[in-house]
Amino acid sequence: MSAHSIPTLHLRRERIILPIWLAGLTLLLTAAGAAISREFGDERERAALAAVAAGNPAFLFLRGLPDGTGVGALVFFQTFAFLAVLIGLMNAFLIVRHTRADEERGRSELLQATPISRTAPLTSALTVALLADLVAAAAVTAAGMLLGFAAWPALLFGLALGCVGLAFAGLSAVAAEVMPTSRSANGLAASLVGVAYITRGIGDALGTADSLDSVSPSWISFLSPIGSAQAAAPFSTATPLPLLVPALLGAAGAAAAVLLRRRRDLGQSLLPDRTGRALWSNADAWRLAIRSQRGVTTGWAIGTAVLGGLAAALAPVVLAAAQANDDLAALIRRLAPGLAVETADLFTVALLGIAGTLATASGVQAVMRLRAEESEGRAELLLPSPLPRSAWMGIQLAVAAGSAIIVALAAGVAAGVGSALVEGTTERLLIPLAAVLVHLPAGAVFLALTAAAFAFVPRLTVALGWGLLVLGLVVGQLGDLIGLPSWLQAASPFHHVPAIPMEALDPAPLLISLAAAALVAGAAVVQLDRRDLVS
Amino acid sequence: MLTSDHPIVVRALHKHYGATPALDDLDLTVGAGEVHGFLGPNGAGKSTTIRILLGLIRATSGSVQVLGRDPWPDPVVTNRDIAYVPGDVSLWPNLTGGEIIDLLLSLRGGGGPGERARLIDAFELDPRRKARTYSKGNRQKVALVAALARPAPLYILDEPTSGLDPVMESVFRAEVRRIRNTGATVLLSSHMLSEVEQLCDRVTVIRAGRVVETGRLDDLLRNAPTVFRVIGVPAEAVIRVPGVTGVHSSGDGIEFAADSSAIPAVLHALHSFNPSSLTATPPALETLFLRHYETARS
Repeated sequence: MSAHSIPTLHLRRERIILPIWLAGLTLLLTAAGAAISREFGDERERAALAAVAAGNPAFLFLRGLPDGTGVGALVFFQTFAFLAVLIGLMNAFLIVRHTRADEERGRSELLQATPISRTAPLTSALTVALLADLVAAAAVTAAGMLLGFAAWPALLFGLALGCVGLAFAGLSAVAAEVMPTSRSANGLAASLVGVAYITRGIGDALGTADSLDSVSPSWISFLSPIGSAQAAAPFSTATPLPLLVPALLGAAGAAAAVLLRRRRDLGQSLLPDRTGRALWSNADAWRLAIRSQRGVTTGWAIGTAVLGGLAAALAPVVLAAAQANDDLAALIRRLAPGLAVETADLFTVALLGIAGTLATASGVQAVMRLRAEESEGRAELLLPSPLPRSAWMGIQLAVAAGSAIIVALAAGVAAGVGSALVEGTTERLLIPLAAVLVHLPAGAVFLALTAAAFAFVPRLTVALGWGLLVLGLVVGQLGDLIGLPSWLQAASPFHHVPAIPMEALDPAPLLISLAAAALVAGAAVVQLDRRDLVS
Repeated sequence: MLTSDHPIVVRALHKHYGATPALDDLDLTVGAGEVHGFLGPNGAGKSTTIRILLGLIRATSGSVQVLGRDPWPDPVVTNRDIAYVPGDVSLWPNLTGGEIIDLLLSLRGGGGPGERARLIDAFELDPRRKARTYSKGNRQKVALVAALARPAPLYILDEPTSGLDPVMESVFRAEVRRIRNTGATVLLSSHMLSEVEQLCDRVTVIRAGRVVETGRLDDLLRNAPTVFRVIGVPAEAVIRVPGVTGVHSSGDGIEFAADSSAIPAVLHALHSFNPSSLTATPPALETLFLRHYETARS
């Protein structure tokens, strides 16, 4: 086999997924950029927005650091952290797909029996990731120039994102060496992306304001590849030096992964499989569904509990910053009357909103397990038993809903208990819980839609499940940012989630969401009985 | 036809995927208490038929009766009385073999712990290992133990011995004889012709979604062709004899198959050429098979 065969194979397998990721990334940037230059065409408005952000640790935590008052600076501030998470996940899934997943499914065995080196699939996957990150950098640069940015800042913006991608390609390669399954490797790699985002958030929120529109991050931000890449600040200081951190991190990860792979057996991992029990005296379909979901849900719940805890711990910092900035707040109100500066609540709501989204994602992922059972052949062992298909799906939907509730509860309880500890009063104990739980009716719609995708177009379950969730989020929560018409925004169930405690709780939209979810889920159950098993 | 005597009765079964027919007018009758071999080349439609019998996929047209019922409207009822081993066993990677056996048994209503222990022992399975660490043969054993540990009126086994070593194959054959002695019916899809010859009362051979041969194994073998290998005779000697097929040169001689009815004519034709050596191999399932499989390719 020639030295080029493996990268050719990997690129061929990527010919659909990778272009979708890259196009989505570029489109999101372009849409946000166009909306920002349309709605903040005036320098004074942009200055106001930058000032609001600079004076508000909530914004700093969620979005990142303002980089000046130009259109490009604002686009960078509004999109960079989000795009960094996306490119991180793109690299994580890309690497695991071609390393641990191939090994787990036995495809590597076929390849490694040919005269290629032991590390060839790994280095090839890393090469494909490098190529993808270069293309992403080029596309972001081109999109930036299209939006009217100068060449050097646009290039630096692109390079910063590309370097974040490289960092996570390297880290994910290590995750794939350490973990025994593709699922756990993806989980570890994705949580590294989450940790990098949150570390940057903490560092940015604790930063010190230099002026109205500029903040120096705390040293904590530089612990994160996303935070370091952001420090390239393409629209102010414009220095490529901090990009060395993510680039070197990626290189170190890649080197470590290659060394690990060189020394280990095919199929082996650093965390080995242990033997288990020989008997399962009370086994049934419920316990199977719960056991299969247990570990994943625990992972999601830890993530959202950290978010909830952060919301509680950082709220006083945010409040203090807001109080110190009374003059600033007044100035902002005069300059831009619609902009809310309810800082502490806004911050909590935003973080718990993320937790609500993650809860929904955990449920959607649990529903997708139905498809994995079918396509990987296990349904063929389950369904020839006297287990009705409706019970099979019903159990999995109930477990998925349970997973979403647990993940949401983890955030709400952590935030409630955290704020009680921080503030020394239990007055607000239940507010965060309500704030995150109100996301669940909207989430239920996406669980049901994923089940419907599985029943009607099984081969598209995963694509539609995640695709509809992302669409719902973009339309319902980022609709304003990218300037979508209001009727379209209203079509997303997430649009109707009340921002508790800033907005009152109106049960009507929540009940409508639940009813819609029940209807769609019912249709899915009926259809599942009517279709063939599809491998 | 009384369905109580015939656990599986399939008539004029069609299954189309788009325009491609997977099953094309297939008939299959399995009598009560028999071990029925279900044979055919790869892609002939064996697994498709079995999935229809289990209510996993729906027939495009035709009638299907499993234990007296159509499996599609309510597979739960028929599946209660079926033990199944799929052709390609995939397991829950994070569960141990023992846990999976218990899960599948409990879904079917529970099995006797004594049987379970006996079978795990007989198949030399380590039930404490996670399924992802199992080889193909061990995955197969998990499915076999789960299927065999609870008695059922009907067993559907899709290539159950693929990946098993010869010792385990013989354990499997003993188990099939055991369940037949209890009066159960077995549909056994297999490529292991020796296994089929040893176990099956009747066989059905399918090709391209239709039946090409069905009957008692003894009858089929009696009518199967005898293979001749002759030295010192040109191919023209027998090529025109009715009932002779597959004439080809092999080494310094020729080889061909002859139906039992053609043997006198063959001997007569060979006689005048003074063969220096002649070997006749008695009818075997393999010969019968290769004939069907080869015509599939031509």
